[in-house]
Amino acid sequence: MNIKITYDWLLEYLETDADPYEMQKYLSLSGPSIETVEKIGDDYVFDIEITSNRIDMASVFGVAQEAQAILPQFGKKAKLKFNPLETYTFDNLKAEPVPNHKLDVTIDDPELCTRFTAMVISAVEIKPSSEIIKKRLELSDIRSLNNVIDISNYLMLSLGQPTHMFDFDQIKGQKMILRKSKKGEKMTTLDGREFELPGDDIVIEDGSGRIIDLCGIMGGENSSITENTKNVLFFVQTYNKRNIRRTSMTTGQRTMAATYFEKGLDPERVESTFVYGIDLLLGATRGHASSELIDLYPHKREEKKVKVYLKDIHRVIGVTIDEKKVIAILEDLGFSVKRHENEELAYPDGVYFEVTVPTYRTDDVDIKEDIIEEVARVYGYYNLPNNISPLLYIKQPHEMEMLFKTISKTKHYLKNIGLHEFLNYSMVSKQLLENMGMDYKAHLRIANTISKEIEYMRRSLAPSLVKNIRDNIGKKDTMKLFEIAKIYTPREKDLPEEQYVLTVAVTTDFFDLKGILEGLFAELNIRNFSYNSKEFNLLSPNTSTAIMSDKKLVGRLGMLRHEFAESMDLSDEVYLAEIDFSFIVENYSVIAPFTDPITTAVIKLDATIDMTNNRYGEIEEKSHQSSKLLQKMEIIDRYKDNITIRFYFADASRNITEEDAKKQLDAIQKSIL
Amino acid sequence: MKSPKELLHQFTEKLSQIKALEELETLEIGYLGRNGLINQQLKNIKEIEASERKTFGQEVNAFKQQVQDGLSSKRSEILKAKNNKKTIDTTLPATAYPKGSLHLVTYAIEEISNIFEKIGFIRMSYPEIEWEFFSFEALNMPSDHPARDDFETFFMDHTPHEEHGKMVLTPHTSSGQHREMRRLGKPPIRMINIAKTYRPNWDASHVPMFHQFEGLCVDKRINITHLKGTIDYFAKQFFGEDRETRLRPFHFQFTEPSFEVDITCDICQGTGKVNGEKCRLCKQGWLELGGTGMVHPNVLSAGGIDPDEYTGWAFGFGVERVMMMRPGVGLSNMRLLYDGDIRVLEQF
Repeated sequence: MNIKITYDWLLEYLETDADPYEMQKYLSLSGPSIETVEKIGDDYVFDIEITSNRIDMASVFGVAQEAQAILPQFGKKAKLKFNPLETYTFDNLKAEPVPNHKLDVTIDDPELCTRFTAMVISAVEIKPSSEIIKKRLELSDIRSLNNVIDISNYLMLSLGQPTHMFDFDQIKGQKMILRKSKKGEKMTTLDGREFELPGDDIVIEDGSGRIIDLCGIMGGENSSITENTKNVLFFVQTYNKRNIRRTSMTTGQRTMAATYFEKGLDPERVESTFVYGIDLLLGATRGHASSELIDLYPHKREEKKVKVYLKDIHRVIGVTIDEKKVIAILEDLGFSVKRHENEELAYPDGVYFEVTVPTYRTDDVDIKEDIIEEVARVYGYYNLPNNISPLLYIKQPHEMEMLFKTISKTKHYLKNIGLHEFLNYSMVSKQLLENMGMDYKAHLRIANTISKEIEYMRRSLAPSLVKNIRDNIGKKDTMKLFEIAKIYTPREKDLPEEQYVLTVAVTTDFFDLKGILEGLFAELNIRNFSYNSKEFNLLSPNTSTAIMSDKKLVGRLGMLRHEFAESMDLSDEVYLAEIDFSFIVENYSVIAPFTDPITTAVIKLDATIDMTNNRYGEIEEKSHQSSKLLQKMEIIDRYKDNITIRFYFADASRNITEEDAKKQLDAIQKSIL
Repeated sequence: MKSPKELLHQFTEKLSQIKALEELETLEIGYLGRNGLINQQLKNIKEIEASERKTFGQEVNAFKQQVQDGLSSKRSEILKAKNNKKTIDTTLPATAYPKGSLHLVTYAIEEISNIFEKIGFIRMSYPEIEWEFFSFEALNMPSDHPARDDFETFFMDHTPHEEHGKMVLTPHTSSGQHREMRRLGKPPIRMINIAKTYRPNWDASHVPMFHQFEGLCVDKRINITHLKGTIDYFAKQFFGEDRETRLRPFHFQFTEPSFEVDITCDICQGTGKVNGEKCRLCKQGWLELGGTGMVHPNVLSAGGIDPDEYTGWAFGFGVERVMMMRPGVGLSNMRLLYDGDIRVLEQF
């Protein structure tokens, strides 16, 4: 989260000689990151990023405390002028209540609200705020409304604790019940938005059963401060952070108060906020306290202690930091430190600190590493040298090495012959699966998807690539695409099987696609494959083939069935190939096995064959079976159903004659008939 | 027998008739070959009186030299004429070879792997669909952590694992940390894990799937200076030697201390100003690179490693993000990488 506060406001708490820009530079390096400084009028506005673990820092006081520790490291003076946590305590409460009003409070479940404080201020005068409060709030991007509501916001930015102001006379029966909401209960927040509550939200009901507060997020419209308000109920609480976050996220009410409460606030700070708030309210409204102080705080938060050895500080940071400096840094941040020495260990190994953690850091500081972080960051990461981690050899599993190497080889080859790599989401829509004739129920589904477009985990890359082709119609004449990605095959009691596949899609023709694959296999020296006819759901029956290796199906290629092309609005033919990538990885070899070139005579003979009842693959197979001297076959002409094949014959051990070759060809022709 | 003068005259005559290299070749053999005219002349030396042999020899050699010179200058002449004969309009378009493209993420992954391989980090791959335990508990993110709710993580519609909880789409690559610790059993660890990651966030500048790369180093005596040095090494290799890095305090559950890494902006060279105006790309000269930190002791313990004996660092950066930050890439919206427009993708 980000907060905006001003330089002038900060100086109310901090004595320093650092200018706003020095503050930005130095604090950003070691603490809160001041993203921008903007000069407006005679003041400077800081826009500060607060990390989720340091909600205690999201206030003027919080930043001042950080500055007290950090600025001196850069040679700047910085000292808190006062500590509001010590100044504003119930002992110093200025109000002397005349108990004219009574509020009856019931808290259903103490888990919901860790501390509850409230007090009625009567006879208030609703009017614009003082110039200084108005100006500071507006510089912090908060609209100034009136003296009462402004104080609520001013307190939040001053001390980091949101508060609420009710019109006391609108709380029917002078009664409050703090409870969990039921699903479907209705309320209207003070910004006029009407809600059906999701359930388990923290709400307050008044004596007439109306919900008057969506706690920690926004008050109800029915009890809000108006210009006619006479009596104000000042209200400071801490709530269970989980309920607040859930309600805020599900209702979409991302108020500033919610972003504070959902991170978990320190109930101890309620007291100072309360006392400072009453102080401001009495001054600004000329009202007077008219009820008892209500403070329901069943489990007091205690300070915890963390032990840390000096040697561990040095071990993790990597440099030696003087122990006096360690103590100073921690104390300036609000920790108290007791130094001890373990007699059994030599100096400085035996030196350790017992660090008392302030209550507002309870959630954040737990173990010695948390203390080491505080020392390291304030000491300054910029002060540490850069060292490469010590070099040593760790074996990469062979299958990992081969996988990455083969993926890279494959991608670069396909790119170099003119294909384009696409990278699609791993999840697709039900519609797309259905358009491609796939059963969506056989796919893993995302339970909480944010769009129907990304709901099912792919078991084939083909739908995505067909969609890519469809989406690019008119942008390029011919499309040749590929993707290498994991598919996810569900397993009943385990994580899905994640398997890499290569899918190629082209708008050219079958032989172009077949050539791409064979070119790739040749590049990777993969020879262990053959074609086999087989019917596939995705591909048109007479224009597709299976790719086999060791009698196992490792891929398929062919034309996308017309019914799927039709449902995808594609009028042109699309050809697809899908290859199990593990087949490529397992059969890839860097160098092809060497064979001696044939130096004896090669005799070429041509023959024309009627293909009406023949398939070329079979002719090829039979030819090699019936001639041991056949080296190579080449189609040199086609005419109607006839093809002319050139046969190359040779014997590596002797020069053959034309007669020898003719005998071979005869044998071949007989085998084909 | 002809006199050398006559022979020379005859040679010059023949040479002047020659137009092609093949003819020149024949002429050369006729004079300088094994049975050529010059060798025949030299054979005649026996018939010459002893007193004149020396002069004769000198004359034949001089003639040989003249023949060689003549042939050689003719050869240059013919080749020169050949060169001048053929003219090409070199500005005509070339023969087109196919030019394909790879996805920008592919280039980034290859480069990142190479940079880390040089300093001994091995690339690994771990499941993209994980049990909650590996993505969260093992990384010190208890069940009530906000990152684990429905707004930050995709959950699968599948029966949960008895011990490991629900099935999720990995919201970060850090689950690989625990898996690598378990695979090796004990340090040293030097790993880089590059994978797809998923978050329920899809709008003008966010995509629900993107890539992260995770570095993990665990060993005895690993400290913050090693993290700092290694990340600085990566930044200089990937972005350029002139870039500087810095660490800022941050918060992540799986590391303690945690940092955010910034790198100097290449547009304003880290000054925060371009021509006197505020640089629009960066914050005061710095760009955010990603998150890092010292491995949280709970994460080490969960991985079966004693945090009192070993320390480590880890980082997780966005692959698309670092690639888009690279000088000269000029791509400002990550969505373009996943919208599947050929006119965008074919440029890489």
